Parts: sequence; C-alpha cells; structure tokens
Amino acid sequence: MSLAHPLWLVVGVALAAAFLWAAHAASRRGRASALAYSDLAFFERATKLRVDPALLITLACAAGIVALGAALAGPRFVANLPVRGGAVVMCIDTSGSMRSTDVAPSRSEAASAAARAFVDAVPDGTRIGIVAFASGAGVVQPLTDDKDAVRDAIGRIPPPNGGTAIGDALVAAARQLPPSGRRAIVLVTDGVNNLGVDPLTAAQQIGLNGIEIDTVGIGTSDSGQLVPGTAEEATIDEDALRRIAESAHGAYARANDAGSLRGRLAALANSTTREKKRVDATVPLALAGGCVLAFALAGGMLAGRFP
Amino acid sequence: MNALRTAILRGARATPRPGGTMRGTRPGDGFVFSQLRAYVEGDDPRRIDHAATARVGALQTRVYLEETALVLAAIVDESGSMRVGRKRALTDAADEAVRAWFGALEGEDQAARIVDARVVRDRRAAPLVHANEPFRFGSALAIAVRALPRGASLLAVVDGYDLPEDEMLARAALRFDATVLLARDPWRDDLPLRGFVRLRDAESGRVRRVFVGARTRARYRDAAQARERDLHDRFRRAGWRVGALDERDGRGSLLRAFGLPA
Repeated sequence: MSLAHPLWLVVGVALAAAFLWAAHAASRRGRASALAYSDLAFFERATKLRVDPALLITLACAAGIVALGAALAGPRFVANLPVRGGAVVMCIDTSGSMRSTDVAPSRSEAASAAARAFVDAVPDGTRIGIVAFASGAGVVQPLTDDKDAVRDAIGRIPPPNGGTAIGDALVAAARQLPPSGRRAIVLVTDGVNNLGVDPLTAAQQIGLNGIEIDTVGIGTSDSGQLVPGTAEEATIDEDALRRIAESAHGAYARANDAGSLRGRLAALANSTTREKKRVDATVPLALAGGCVLAFALAGGMLAGRFP
Repeated sequence: MNALRTAILRGARATPRPGGTMRGTRPGDGFVFSQLRAYVEGDDPRRIDHAATARVGALQTRVYLEETALVLAAIVDESGSMRVGRKRALTDAADEAVRAWFGALEGEDQAARIVDARVVRDRRAAPLVHANEPFRFGSALAIAVRALPRGASLLAVVDGYDLPEDEMLARAALRFDATVLLARDPWRDDLPLRGFVRLRDAESGRVRRVFVGARTRARYRDAAQARERDLHDRFRRAGWRVGALDERDGRGSLLRAFGLPA
C-alpha cells in the first residue's frame, strides 16, 4: 500500500485526536451535571447495559475523521480482483488410464467432481469452456458465462476410453479462447501423452500468445495398480506436466485424492480468473468516512446531547 | 398519647420475651399508676378500669409506668446512595421519619440512635445527630443487638443496597419490635431520562454515560419494582414490620408502616 499525500493522513489522525480530546473535555465538564443515582451497578444490571453507545458514537466520529484524512492522503494498494471478461478452458482427460481407481472412486469421476467445484469457485462473469480429450480432443462446452450450462456439460463428458492426446487438447482449448484479455487453460490429466501433437511444443506456442496453462496431475505413481482392462500400470507423468505449465507461465499441482483435486481446482479458479490490480481507494474511503461521520453525528443529535 | 406511640406500644407488646411470654401478659408488670387511656387491642382485660369506662362510655385501661415505658431506637442510612431523589433527597424524608419516631417519646421512654459505632441516648440529640463514617447496616444492627434491651422498638431507615444476612435480620426481629422503612427508588415507576444521560454513582462517584430508550426504561421499571418486592419480602420473612420510605413524605411513610393514616 502506498499514499499519494501522506501528510493528509497525519492531518486526519491529528484531527481525530483533537476531536477525542474535545469529547473527553466535554465529558469532564458533564461530570458535574451528571444525575446522581443510588447504585450504578444495579442500574447497569437492570437495564442490561453492555456497551456505552455514547462512546461508540464518539469512536465512530473519530474513525470517520481518520477515514476522511486517509482518503485525502490518496491510498493505493494492490488487490487480487476478478478479471472482467476473463476466459478459462478446462481440458479434462478422458483417456482409458483415467479409469484407474487409485483416486477414489476413479480418476475420471474425481476429475468431473473437481471440475464442478472449479465452476462453483469461478467469479460470475468469467467465461468457462470444457474440452474433453482422449485419442482426440473435442469441445464439450464452448466458452460461456452460464455456469449452469457448464455444469450440464461436465455431465456430458464422455467415459474414459482411448489414448491421451494432450497436445491436441491444448490446441483445441487455445482456439476457444479470445485473442486478448486474461486467458487460461486448466489441464486435468494423468499426464502420459501418447498421441497427437507434442504437448510441450503446443504449450510453448500457447504461452507465447499470452495464455497461461495450469496443470493438475491426477493419480499416484508406483501404486502398482493396473489400468482396468489393460496390463498397463496406472502412473502419472509429473515431469511432463510440470514442463507444460512452466512453458506457459502456469503452475503444476499434484492431486493424490479426490479432495485435494477439488481443492487444487478451486484454488486455480481464483488464480486463473483474478489478477493483481492497483486500486485507488480515495473515493470509497472518503465516502465511507463521510457516511460514518454523518450517521454518528446524526445519531448522537437525534438521541440526545452530544458529545 | 399520640397514635404512633400507641401503635409502637402495641407492637412492643407483641415482641417475644425470654421464655416465650409476651410483654403485656407478664403478671405483676407495673405498680406505679401513670394514667388512664383508651383501650387498645392487646391490653390485658384485667387492667380495664370499669369505673372510668362507665364514666367515659368507652373501654379505659389503667396504665402503669413500667408497662408503658418504651425504648425507641433508630438506625438510619445516611450514605451517598440515600442522597438521591426526584424533588428532594431521600435523606430528608429519612430525617422526617426519624423526627416523627423520636417525637413519639413520652414520660419515661428512652431514646437510642445508633450512629457510626456509638449509641446516642440523649432524647433531644437523637433525632439530630448525623453519621461521619460510611454506613454499614450489618454493623449497626450488631451494635443494636449488643447495646439495646430486649423488647426495644427499633426503626431502621435504609435503601437496601447493603444488607446483612437474613439470619442477622431475623435475630434482630426476635429481639426487638423491628420496623424497617425501605427507601423507595425515586424512579421506580419511570425513569425521567431520555436519550444520552450521565449517571453518577452516589456512593463511588463513578460516572457512566448511558442511552435511555423506551426499552431501557421498561427494563428498569420492571427491575426496580421487582427489587422493591424482593426486599419487602425478605424483611417480612425475617419478622420485620415493613414500610416504604417515600421521598415526599417521611413522616407519612412511618405512619403508614404502622397502619396509621398519614
């Protein structure tokens, strides 16, 4: 956070301090005119007094003055804000190896559930697309900001079968994305590419176009489990996924179980659809400070003497 | 004889004496004739003077000095918590009540006012002395129990914020004909406050700013009335005669406590 005019903040704090001193002085003067009561503890118990509203109003006034002073100081800070018009395409692996059950109930079902969590976590207004891939890649849902349509599309993802064409999926996803703006591809796969375009080459090309690729490796290595219906061992090519992500400004994450997969994708929903922006808080802070001050003073005057 | 004294005397007669007997029924009480007076409930029928009754047309009782001499004692809370009120301080009403109390003294009666840690027995000084030390009702009662004769008539004027144990109250009521005037909260029926107000604890001087709204006033009214009921019940259970000290009329408050018209 930085301040364009720090002196105004000092002025605001000084004014608030002066206000509190004036309120305290008025309170001391008022002591002499206080109404004598037999037993204040009984009064407090009887009326169930917990907070001192007058003190709250005094503090609210002081806070309002500080906020106004801070607003004049021109505060600016960097915030992680949702990207307006952002687009993200999920590439979900439906190859035969996704039938593996090392991630309960199976890699493919865990991926579908996690994709729904991803959709839930994406801020409204961000467009989402779905690409499913096995021996080839197909668009299941073109980019849309209709989350219900995306959820329905997740239900239409074909069952796992065939090879793994990661490169083709990346190319298909990149074609869906607009030419500019915040764009990202989230690749959910077990990572053993065996068909189509070389995924690393495709990722490098996509990265050059300013598209971020984040990869999520699903599955376990060296578990000894076989892919159902085959003699192949269920495994995961983490190195390949890490290189794909690095070549397109993204990050790789590993999910050994359905819970961590959901968590990874939910986190990606934030990181791929938000970006850090420099925010000028002058106007909101001035409005907030002014409102607090006005309400506090009006409340004090309506309710009785003030301070 | 004034009506208050008669009422006090009636109460004193009902005070248990050692062995469970009552003052008025002890045989041989009183040898020196003092006066004739109208019969009051509780008088020994053997003391009715038939000749005087025939002359006057109403029952007349012979009164003997020993029998009618009273010990009137008073304990008065003069602490800061009594120096509050709507129009005047409760202490002013308490002073009125005490003056009326000691105003009932006659003939051989004795006065005793417990102030601080001493007993003022001077009949003229008793209504006028004031405390210099913080008031503790329990301590004052303990002094009364030690210093006053059994059967004395005791008046306590307190606000009930600092009460001794019930056992102590009961012990005092067994020993004396005990009457308490409980200071009525001046704002029992309605707080005269609106909005933000400063309240100062009359005892400690602590000041607190509070917001008094309709809900606060309703809560306070309920709590103050409940407190008064509880205090009255507590003293009654302990065997005391109970009255409420109204800041506007201390003497009237005392008379009402004895069932007399103010």
